[in-house]
Amino acid sequence: MKKQLRMIFVFGLLFVFCVGHSAYAQLAKITGKVTDVTSGEGMPGVSILVKGTSRGAVTDLDGNYSIEAGPNEVLIITFIGFQPKEELVGTRLVINTSLAESIQALNEVVVVGYGTQERKEITSAVTSVKAESFNQGTVNDPRQLLQGKVAGLNIARPGGNPNGGFNMRLRGISSIGENASPLIVIDGVIGASLSTVDPNDIESMDVLKDGSAAAIYGTRGSSGVILVTTKAGKKGRTVVEFNSSVATENVARTINVMTAEEYKQIPGSRDLGGNTDWMDEVTKTGFSFINNLSLGGGNEGTSYRISINSRNVDGVGINSGFDQLNARLNLTQRALKDKAVFSVNISNTSIDRQFGNENSFRYAIISNPTLPVMDPMPQSPNFGGYSERDIFDWFNPVSIAEQNIADGRDSRLLASIRGEYNFSSKFRGAVFYASQRETDWRGSYSPKTAKFGGGFGRNGLATIQNNERLNDLFETTLNYDETAGKVGMAFLAGYSYQEFFNQGDYTQAGNFLTDAFTYNNIGAALDFANGLATVSSYANSNKLVAFFGRANFNLEDTYLLSVSARYEGSTRFGANNKWGLFPAISAGVNIANLLDMSGVSAMKFRVSYGRTGTQPGESYLSLLRFGRQGNFFYNGQFVPSYGPVSNANPDLAWETKDEYNIGLDFVILNNKLDGAIDYYTRVTTGMILPINVPVPPNLFPTTQLNIGEMSNSGLEVMLNYKAIQKSDFRWTTGINFSTLKTNLKSLSSGDLSFGEVNYRSNFGSPGQNLTQLIRIQENGPLGQIWGPVQVGISETGAPIMKVINGTAKDANGNPVYCNCNDDRTQLGTAYPTLNFGFNNTFNYKNWDLNFFFRGSFGHYLINSYRGFYENTESTTVQNWNIVNTKYFDPKITKAEYNSTHVEKADFVVLDNATLGYNFNVGPGRAIGRIRTFISVQNPLMFTGYTGVDPEVRYGDSESGNDPLAPGIERRATYFTTTITTLGLNLSF
Amino acid sequence: MKKIINVRYFVIGLVMSFFASSCIDLKEEVFSAVTAENFFKTDEEFISALGQAYTSLGGLGNHSGLWSINEIASDEITVSHKGGDWFDGGVLLQLHQHEFKSDNPFFQNSWNFLFGGINTCNRLIFSFEKLDNPNSPAFIAELRALRALYYYWAMDAFGNIPIVTDFADVEAPATKSRKEVYDFVLKELNEVIPLLKATKDGTTYGRMTKWSALMIRMKLYLNAEVYTGTPQWALAAADASEIINSGVYSLMPSYKANFAINNSQSTENIFVYPYDKVFAGGFNWVMMTLHIVSQATFNLTQQPWNGYQTVEEFYNSYVDPAKNPGTQGPVWKGLALTPSTGTIDGRLSNFLVGPQFRADGTTLIDPGVEPTDPTGRNGDPNGPPLTFMPYLNEISPGGLRQAGARIAKYEFERGGTNNMSNDFVIFRLSDVILSLAEARFRLGQTTEALALVNQIRARAGNLDPFTTLTAESLLAERGREMYVEMTRRQDLIRFKKYGDAWWPFAGMNRPKLVHSPGSFLELFPIPAPQLLANPKLKQNPGYN
Repeated sequence: MKKQLRMIFVFGLLFVFCVGHSAYAQLAKITGKVTDVTSGEGMPGVSILVKGTSRGAVTDLDGNYSIEAGPNEVLIITFIGFQPKEELVGTRLVINTSLAESIQALNEVVVVGYGTQERKEITSAVTSVKAESFNQGTVNDPRQLLQGKVAGLNIARPGGNPNGGFNMRLRGISSIGENASPLIVIDGVIGASLSTVDPNDIESMDVLKDGSAAAIYGTRGSSGVILVTTKAGKKGRTVVEFNSSVATENVARTINVMTAEEYKQIPGSRDLGGNTDWMDEVTKTGFSFINNLSLGGGNEGTSYRISINSRNVDGVGINSGFDQLNARLNLTQRALKDKAVFSVNISNTSIDRQFGNENSFRYAIISNPTLPVMDPMPQSPNFGGYSERDIFDWFNPVSIAEQNIADGRDSRLLASIRGEYNFSSKFRGAVFYASQRETDWRGSYSPKTAKFGGGFGRNGLATIQNNERLNDLFETTLNYDETAGKVGMAFLAGYSYQEFFNQGDYTQAGNFLTDAFTYNNIGAALDFANGLATVSSYANSNKLVAFFGRANFNLEDTYLLSVSARYEGSTRFGANNKWGLFPAISAGVNIANLLDMSGVSAMKFRVSYGRTGTQPGESYLSLLRFGRQGNFFYNGQFVPSYGPVSNANPDLAWETKDEYNIGLDFVILNNKLDGAIDYYTRVTTGMILPINVPVPPNLFPTTQLNIGEMSNSGLEVMLNYKAIQKSDFRWTTGINFSTLKTNLKSLSSGDLSFGEVNYRSNFGSPGQNLTQLIRIQENGPLGQIWGPVQVGISETGAPIMKVINGTAKDANGNPVYCNCNDDRTQLGTAYPTLNFGFNNTFNYKNWDLNFFFRGSFGHYLINSYRGFYENTESTTVQNWNIVNTKYFDPKITKAEYNSTHVEKADFVVLDNATLGYNFNVGPGRAIGRIRTFISVQNPLMFTGYTGVDPEVRYGDSESGNDPLAPGIERRATYFTTTITTLGLNLSF
Repeated sequence: MKKIINVRYFVIGLVMSFFASSCIDLKEEVFSAVTAENFFKTDEEFISALGQAYTSLGGLGNHSGLWSINEIASDEITVSHKGGDWFDGGVLLQLHQHEFKSDNPFFQNSWNFLFGGINTCNRLIFSFEKLDNPNSPAFIAELRALRALYYYWAMDAFGNIPIVTDFADVEAPATKSRKEVYDFVLKELNEVIPLLKATKDGTTYGRMTKWSALMIRMKLYLNAEVYTGTPQWALAAADASEIINSGVYSLMPSYKANFAINNSQSTENIFVYPYDKVFAGGFNWVMMTLHIVSQATFNLTQQPWNGYQTVEEFYNSYVDPAKNPGTQGPVWKGLALTPSTGTIDGRLSNFLVGPQFRADGTTLIDPGVEPTDPTGRNGDPNGPPLTFMPYLNEISPGGLRQAGARIAKYEFERGGTNNMSNDFVIFRLSDVILSLAEARFRLGQTTEALALVNQIRARAGNLDPFTTLTAESLLAERGREMYVEMTRRQDLIRFKKYGDAWWPFAGMNRPKLVHSPGSFLELFPIPAPQLLANPKLKQNPGYN
């Protein structure tokens, strides 16, 4: 019995031992040192974490650490800027390890559609721009962060209007019928508005350039995709960041006009006694104050980041600017033993705008410099004391901007919630819901004394307008990762449902007793009683439904293959064509892994094909619709009448773009030089255009049809070179450039055609209406600037135009100039053949200096100012000032658009120069970082162009930004500005 | 693992249930537009549908359409190139100088106006035929008459055009000869005239009646020689007589009352398009013709465009006692700064001419005037005070801004907008009387013809009756009476004067305008965009 008891005791002891051992024996104290693989020195602050647990440690100043871990556990050793490393503990009690600097160009995380990949795995043309590479200075629009940074992505905002938008074109022009701006995806929300995100909150922007990368976005991928990722809180210490800057803005470029003294020399000029610099009168120095505060942090379960951004911007134009307040919360919560992850992002923006009036610039240019701003004449009270003259097409520009009120308020709400559940380490599913609410309110008032803006003629004129755009997105995705032998596989499948609803109203009414109400009491307008008020409202909706999937295969980071497809339907398509399939395939091979090349870290060759679409730009284009068409006099009274406003086209489908891309990504010269070279060719077919159709049998003279074919090709190169890498001096330089060639192969389909040759746009009033400026021609490039060639000046001062075809004959049968297309020719091209960006960053001790040049070459612009006002035509002499560029010829007395007004607009601009200083902050201080900087934007521009802004014009601002009529600088262009910013960055 | 699969099925099941419902439905939801499916439900919708056939006519009173091409191509109206203003690609000069080009957008606008109207009629006839509504037969007859009007205008302007009557026919139509179109319009009119209302009251105002249809037929017959080669003077006379003898219409005592702001009470107007500044905008002659500073004369809400002017010879046909005998009095002539003596034809109310004043009676100053030049060659003789001179110095490029008598036929409203409220007169009894006079004259019944012409002259005011009648004096009288009523081009062609070298103005670097009767220029070219859209259409001879 004793023996039995002893046995039991022994077994019990053994059991306890065993249990105790299993509880204890697995945890041993591991110590070690982490060193830098190149220098061999110990690295302080390296994070060591036992994989799958919360046990962690940090190395000390010499790089030493200690941690408890079991033999089967894995240590994850990470440090920012270095490649993470994993060490299996095994039997070791001392684990010394070394970290290698990560080659960002290979390992950086690139955001792609519905996921992320490492740079080395990417097989399509994707450019990722991280926050540290963004443009600096006063940046109020996220698009500006990317300006010039991505080869093939052109971002332009002609002039310096603080309320003006940036036009974006990726790889030139992919669609002539519909929206040609890239699709914006913010944190997974497709089609999100960029004004929901403050530039300070952006972590990275990833540009999906080729068709294969964009195909997962189906009918919205043709113009490329920009994925915006906002900053998120990180596990660990709470970080408080505060950025503040103050900026002044001054006019950089206008167009040269005559001073009062010069003007008076012109024979027949009318001296009105004053001496006014109108350009100066309509502008001022603008001030901006920008403040951003963010708090971020997190623990094992929760991480968060909250930011508040305020921007008070005052433009150079009178009464122009905006006040913007944006708040954002990004929250991530883990639950169910980390198997479930919930993310909530909420952003709210409110922008109070004052639009000013660009027409004040237009009329400042032609205002008689001898006219005083304020008129001492008795009739001046009629115009609020401003001098006004009863002449054609001129208004006191100061009055335009000072008297008219044009206000607005934009509200943006973007909220999204995402739930993800990891069924296993390989299989996970997610549900995503996002909602965006955008409202734009506009109010304007032209007082009784304002000659421009309708106030004078209408006895006070008020307008109020509301537009609301709502969209709701629901998506669900499943991901499955598997490894079979050496092949890593990743599968994605998903469903997407997105609903859009827009509505708005517009009221305009005049004839007020008093100006006191401005737009705030529109019901007081007498126009409602006499029937002259205008009221309208609208609503429309559309829906997109899609199924999508992708499979990625990776054989040891050497052979890579990606296949994807989106099957998408849109309500906007005709009944016979509701669904389209958008497939893509891309493959890459890393030659560096196959061949032994010295100094070459990576050399990846990739090819891709992808099909994307563009859906019709408006709803209901495929339907036969009737609209209000005036009133009908029926039995002694007017009753409303309805008539057709569109023809039915049940076959209306998406525009299709097929794109091939070959590319090379490389990291060579021992990681000093990295870059990417891409060549693409793309064909767009079935462009959605309004085509003239015979009436009858059709009801309406144009039908929206899918027609024609266009091809583009181009080369894009991006290079980054770490020229000097010393401990206290570093110089990094980068250049990117892109070329572009377009060809409009066809604008026809069967009997129907947009026209083998079309002429677009209109020079305008006075006297040059129906004067078309741009030719579109089958089998020709897009953007052909078109017009007559001036070869001399007649005795009367009219331009003598070249006889080109000589179809017109005079009485003697000799060819004479025909004012027709037979005697016009191509005068230039609207698109640049080369765009480039050139960046340099120097770091010397605590100083950093960055300057960034940007340029476009090969494009021309029609200088409208000169086409109308650079002549001594009698009206001009007596009433308008004269544009006085280097081309001014006093012999020319007639305004008639011709070749001399088309100018080469090549330019190089110093977009930004920033000098910063980082203060030394000792360890243990409350403040982690102090940086001050001074930044100058647009201080220097090199160009031969004499107009206001040589920037590329992608559409005609006077005809709804018509993409078929690029290359025209219109007369109401906002003057360009130079911004000087003084800023402070603090983090705690 | 099994559990996971179950969850997966659950998720997939959930997802599938979404798809089964509305989550893949792609039908468009329409909010603020009307589609064919949700229209034609009530009587009001029925009437508003009929209205569209008429509201299409609203394009008549606007710049750059059918009225513009007819008037600018005639000797009544020009739009000179005034310095930097009104060149507009030369399209207006081309029209006036008979250099018609198929890509001139005015032709395209006119075509769209005409065939848009035709098509609307076809569509509505098709709809009404299918609907069992008591109003249908009357509406259909009315629509056919209106369609005949559009076809008549289209045939008059473009000659050889397609004929489409069946809305359900979706084939692009081919060109028919002018003769075929003439026969078609005639047949339609013959069929519908007995079905149309013959009353003149509020219910037929602005609507097609028996009398408007008869008047279209009268005009077909009057121009039958031009349209078909065979004259039909007797038939024209018969239709004109039927209208006159019906007694439904009578001449107003005052000529200009027919064009007053409130002209709906006219006993003389047979068919009008009722414009209204609130309900039916689009009549903007006030903008087209007045000088920019005339805004202050009429307190207009907008600045006019200083475009359309009267050709000087045409204006002179009123004041010249040799051509137009009558009471002599002060009239404006040439570029004289003081009134001269001439015939004070009551119809000079058609023009705004002479010095202009602000609404308060003070002199109206034009600060944008050319230098003063008494010869009128290089500047206005009167300088800054705005004076509309009948004198036109040149058509291009240096047309004087104050030159030319302005179109004041329709009364301008004080404080008016760019939309005039006067009803646009399409058909009027005077035209019937003068047409009857012409038909009688052509048939050799000169005495009857002379009496009819003198009836018109007597009403005009301050005129002596004609003692004899010639083709020339008949055409001139038609001109004075029917100024800017869109008959002049047709009249000139019929009287074989369309190719004459009117307005031999200075500064034109081209031969004088001459083409002989029957020239291809008597038809406008088929607009280029139409040829592009419909390859079955043929361009008119002479144009390429």
